[in-house]
Amino acid sequence: MNEDDVQRLTAVLVRAGGVGVSVETVTVLTGGASSATYAVDAVRDGAAWPLILQRAAAGEVVAGGFPKADQAALQMLAGRRGIPVADVVAVLTPEDGLGHGFVMTRVAGEALAPRYLRDEKYAAARAAMTGQCAAVLATLHSVPLAEVAGLALAGGRTAAAREQMFERYRAYGVESPVFDMAFAWLAERCGDAEPTSVVHGDFRSGNFIVDEQGLAAVLDWELAHLGEGAEDLGWLCANAWRFGNWQKPVGGFGEREELYDAYAAAGGARIDRARAHMWEVWGTLRWGLSCLQLGHDHVSGRVISVERAAIGRRVSEVELDLVHLIRFGEI
Amino acid sequence: MAEQIEAAALVAVVADFLKSIEPALTGQQAFHAKVASNAMAIVARELTLKPREAEAAALGGFLGHESGLDALRAELCGRLRMGQLTPETPGLLEALTTAVLAKVAVDNPRYSTFKRLAGG
Repeated sequence: MNEDDVQRLTAVLVRAGGVGVSVETVTVLTGGASSATYAVDAVRDGAAWPLILQRAAAGEVVAGGFPKADQAALQMLAGRRGIPVADVVAVLTPEDGLGHGFVMTRVAGEALAPRYLRDEKYAAARAAMTGQCAAVLATLHSVPLAEVAGLALAGGRTAAAREQMFERYRAYGVESPVFDMAFAWLAERCGDAEPTSVVHGDFRSGNFIVDEQGLAAVLDWELAHLGEGAEDLGWLCANAWRFGNWQKPVGGFGEREELYDAYAAAGGARIDRARAHMWEVWGTLRWGLSCLQLGHDHVSGRVISVERAAIGRRVSEVELDLVHLIRFGEI
Repeated sequence: MAEQIEAAALVAVVADFLKSIEPALTGQQAFHAKVASNAMAIVARELTLKPREAEAAALGGFLGHESGLDALRAELCGRLRMGQLTPETPGLLEALTTAVLAKVAVDNPRYSTFKRLAGG
């Protein structure tokens, strides 16, 4: 972000927080091809004002992507329903000259999953998180679709979503017998349900801010879409998000039965075990496609990086998880 | 001394070199050096374990004929897409398990599911 952009950002923050606002430093946290996240250290009336800026780097919305302004609107809606989220401070307008995006508060706490999944300091947090996650998801999934009718949320029937995922796999030109076997397995089981809920789409360890009491904020709403609530529960249980704590299927910190019971107790639907298992296979396959995508970025020359190339070698881990899930019914 | 240093020896010395410079690096560079030395370890295992041969043996054993690995993979994928094979076809999941274990033994033998299935 250059000096002019910092000036523009300052103007946005003055609009939101008054004339006593200045920007001290802006640090890139993650910069993808389609969007970038910055930590912004601002000062408001003499006090530190830690913020996060998320914006579409090229000033463009990726085809099929969730517009940043709508992402901010959904995050605010979640906050009004009592879901712990960062407060949205300002939504960028075209006149701001910074592309699409929004500014939110930087919630204090631990963002690195391996720390809150292992450190003794977070033992009480881990014990509370299964119930907290279940309550968040039950609340989100009960939002009437009429309330989000104005947001450009993707999503459709289950069979079409599976077909889209299959086409994405085929586009990489990779032949994985395990992935094809998993797609065939899903085709027999996923059905063709109408979307009934707002699904977070990336609800997992690694996308939470955790403090000693547990879940302090749910981050990364950019993959939100319409679908079946159980999809979020299955994704949360994918082995990739246990960060090595594989004996704790719920995000590396909890047990499935506790998650399902707490979800129902908080007003969510009763979770059918076979359906939940289907969504775990689905989520694991989806993570496998992300590994293929990241490896493909390197092979295609789009992003040459030792990290992307190495992630391409994680595809086999996902293949092993899929075989285990389908052969033994769990992982 | 051998006339030519073997590939495995080159890989090992590059991996050691990357480890030695890691403490001098910070941020992204330190992270990428760590990833790079893991990548060298993958190459070293691949040179020893020959996973493509093991995978081809598993898939060829299931299909009942020998061929190159890419052709065997493509045949399996094609038959799964056509519905000629399904996850319920006897022997398929077992063959896929053997094939994938050979890959993960190279890519990440510390992976939890690998330890569960291979350590058995």
